[in-house]
Amino acid sequence: MLNRLSVLWTVTALVISMLPQLASMPFHLVPITLLPIVWRLMAEFRQWKPIPMILRVLATALAVGALVTTYGGLMGRRAAVSMLVLMLSLKLLETFRIRDARIVVSLSLFLCATQFLFSQGIPMIIYIIACLLSSLISFMYLQRCEAFSVLDEEPESDRKLLTELGFGASLMALALPIGITLFLLFPRWGSPLWGLPEDALDARSGLSDSMTPGSIQNLFMDDSPAFRAKFEGGVPRNSDLYWRGPVFWNFDGSTWEVSYLSRNLLADNKPDPEKAPFRYDVQMEPTEQRWLFALDYPALTPRRTKMTVDYQLIASRPVTRLLSYTMASDPGFQDSPVLRQTLLRAALALPEGFNPRTAAMMADWRKEAGSDSEIIRRALQHFNQQQFHYTLNPPLLSQHTVDEFLFDTKEGFCEHYASAFTVMMRMAGIPARVVTGYQGGFYNPIGSYLLVRQSDAHAWSEVWVRGSGWTRIDPTAAVAPERVQQGAVDSLEQRRYLLDFEWLRNARNTFDLFQRGWNNWVITFGADRQSRLFSIFGWEYLGPAKLVIAMIAILLITGAVIFLVAPMLLKFRSSRKPDPLLRLWGKFIKKLEKAGFVSHPSMGAMELAANAGGQLKYESDAIFRIAELYTLCRYSRDMGNEAELTELINCFEIRSAPGS
Amino acid sequence: MVTVATPPAPRSFVSSISDRIKQRVHKKRGPMTPPFELAYRQIFVLPTKFGWGFGFMLIFMALGGLNFNNNMALILVFLLATIAQLTTLIAYRNLSGLKVDSIHAEPVFCGEYAHFRVFASNGNERQRFAIQAGFRQAQDCKNFKLNSYDSFLLQRPTYKRGWLEMPSFRLETRFPLGLFKAWSWIFPQTRCLVYPAPARKAPPLPKTGHGHSGPARRGDGDEVHGLRKYQPGDSRQRVAWRASARHDELYSMEMETPREDACELDWDLLRGSEVEKRLSILTAWVIAADHKQLSYSLILPDSAIPVGKGDSHRSRCLEALALYLL
Repeated sequence: MLNRLSVLWTVTALVISMLPQLASMPFHLVPITLLPIVWRLMAEFRQWKPIPMILRVLATALAVGALVTTYGGLMGRRAAVSMLVLMLSLKLLETFRIRDARIVVSLSLFLCATQFLFSQGIPMIIYIIACLLSSLISFMYLQRCEAFSVLDEEPESDRKLLTELGFGASLMALALPIGITLFLLFPRWGSPLWGLPEDALDARSGLSDSMTPGSIQNLFMDDSPAFRAKFEGGVPRNSDLYWRGPVFWNFDGSTWEVSYLSRNLLADNKPDPEKAPFRYDVQMEPTEQRWLFALDYPALTPRRTKMTVDYQLIASRPVTRLLSYTMASDPGFQDSPVLRQTLLRAALALPEGFNPRTAAMMADWRKEAGSDSEIIRRALQHFNQQQFHYTLNPPLLSQHTVDEFLFDTKEGFCEHYASAFTVMMRMAGIPARVVTGYQGGFYNPIGSYLLVRQSDAHAWSEVWVRGSGWTRIDPTAAVAPERVQQGAVDSLEQRRYLLDFEWLRNARNTFDLFQRGWNNWVITFGADRQSRLFSIFGWEYLGPAKLVIAMIAILLITGAVIFLVAPMLLKFRSSRKPDPLLRLWGKFIKKLEKAGFVSHPSMGAMELAANAGGQLKYESDAIFRIAELYTLCRYSRDMGNEAELTELINCFEIRSAPGS
Repeated sequence: MVTVATPPAPRSFVSSISDRIKQRVHKKRGPMTPPFELAYRQIFVLPTKFGWGFGFMLIFMALGGLNFNNNMALILVFLLATIAQLTTLIAYRNLSGLKVDSIHAEPVFCGEYAHFRVFASNGNERQRFAIQAGFRQAQDCKNFKLNSYDSFLLQRPTYKRGWLEMPSFRLETRFPLGLFKAWSWIFPQTRCLVYPAPARKAPPLPKTGHGHSGPARRGDGDEVHGLRKYQPGDSRQRVAWRASARHDELYSMEMETPREDACELDWDLLRGSEVEKRLSILTAWVIAADHKQLSYSLILPDSAIPVGKGDSHRSRCLEALALYLL
């Protein structure tokens, strides 16, 4: 049978480990999950009997039914983990024995581990500590509940909650060095044995594989990091920081989409990595998409990634966790001086019957202009000189999106400009496409890396000019040059939301340093980084066998140190001070023993004095006086003088017998 | 001599290991006489059933963490594994250094539980928590503060008279998390004297005493023995009011039960019954005679105990009965 403390702590451990999952569950599942917990607590305080088996089965069936209808099945990680949470909570209905409580607490730890599939951010450190502490404490209470179940009740001990907390904390502190050693050196697998479910993450923000002008908008509100880049040399100028993402060719009048062709044709010509001026390491947050981001034009292809004909980097699997890759870029690279017929057609295609006003204007321009570059210049001037506004809250557009934008609303942000510009170019017979990605980034001087946030998302155009190939044109820069120079958020005149202050953004940018270090050392730590762990000692690469040897060696060393330290940390001192009289007496006995006297614990003070006095005749007077005084101090309330006894014992010395 | 109880049911893998350890320990070390301290070589540590389950869960978690290269899950697993490993040390330390001072058992009548008391003491090294003692199942559990002593009570049912050797028992602890148990086998040399069970419906005490009637049993009784000075605690009904009034001082009456004759408890009086039956009747007589504070003597075929009374006499008689023909 469980005692109250163990029940309370079992429930605490369970609830703490559930918290993140509860927060991300569909709202109506939360009360269903909490109900059994509340029932168990009530049962503890009101001495309720366990409910019958049939009711428990029924409750379980109902809860699982609710879960399945909510998630539409049990596939997917969120659904599976919600199932685990629900089952654990229902398990409390029958948790009346120590064994069941132990299962609940152990599985709470398992639940804790599953939460790291969803998030491995710095706040999770607090979560991991809370989970560990609470489950250690419940294990301790359960253990003592089990041990004392042979008696009717547990005797009073001076292990209060604070002692338990301290004990749990010192266990964790002692475990930390070995845990870290294991973490760093335990051989990792280069590739997973079984795959991650595709639906792995909760919906993540990021660039999508299509663009309907207006849809990037929500990204501007999102300050979460998209990726970080650490440059080998200096950071390029802001106007060079165009991070290439999805490239759109197909336009159906309202939405831009990736072309099947461009996605499957591989680049046949790459910049020479040796000559690329920009070299950097990218640490990319998971996106659930397959695009990797690089500055124009990427020269390297990371592992399990392909480079398409329009220089998108596409991974073979969606990026579901932090990804690190090394990249080199050459902005001076000439992209396709010669364009294939199929691609040329795709870069000129437009849907029939859309945007008649723009089409008419472009036909006029075509007639007036001598060359393609004149039309491009004229279009940019058009954006610059007409009353176009850069705003994150543009009016909605209906059917002829480009017409309405160019002639009526004249308000929009990068998507609108890029889309309109590209359509204009195609109408004028110039091959053009839309490129989305990120522009700029925040340079963190302490960590000397560039942080690119979701709010740095951007869209621009590329036009194909005979002879020089694809050329980047950023129409937004023509309207709002500060967007490119200062970044999307800082170029706005208004705050995006109530608490959108610059100092807050700066503080967050600085704090990102820790996040980056955490990402670097904890989250993306894997087989390849592990093998380079000892490179500072000159060992460039360590294979698994050598890692294991290093691990065992370091474990032995840390283990030995801990073995020495543990007794000090885990010493359970009793809260009471030792009896001062007894200590004095012990000191006296030690002095006697030094002179060769053998004492027995069974001897009383006077008996000891008689024996010792007989043996050490020259000191017998002093010995008797001390014994008498000790007896007085011990047994009579006011006749003994402790100070005198202290004095006597401290001065007591055994002189060697004269003549011997 | 140590009796190792034969296992009644199929044993699990873990406990069969522990049995084998026990036999080896016994072969190597033999019986121990207290006082002794539990030391390094006598303490064994193995995972409990819960510990095995927990270990499998950790392996499972580690596989998941390695597969998804989920480093925080791996950190959790490694921390838990290290903590679990640390608790072996703590469990060992919880037991090591505990001193068994002595083991005692008071004689009991057959059918009662034999009570073995294991006195243990703790020095000032560390506090100890949840130390269990038991033959196979734990029967007692104690905490030890610094510089303290306590005793474990171990019980054993008795089925026949004579000496009951205390079986080997273990001191065990699963402190702090219950993942590992540290235990030490102890092979005591203590034995418990089991008296024959007293017969339920024993015939009345034989009045064949040769002895002279002893002094009357004072205290309770129906007849007045005399007067004495009132003492605090004397019943008010016993106060001799008339005498007290005469002497200006309180007197109370002293009562007595008249003495029966001393009796002779003779084996031959019970001719016709079988041996154990006779022994148990004699036992009942000894108890009854002792209760009535009679002087009695016991005559068995192989020994005779002269007339006497008191606790030591009673013990002598009962011991003779317990060990008759053994």
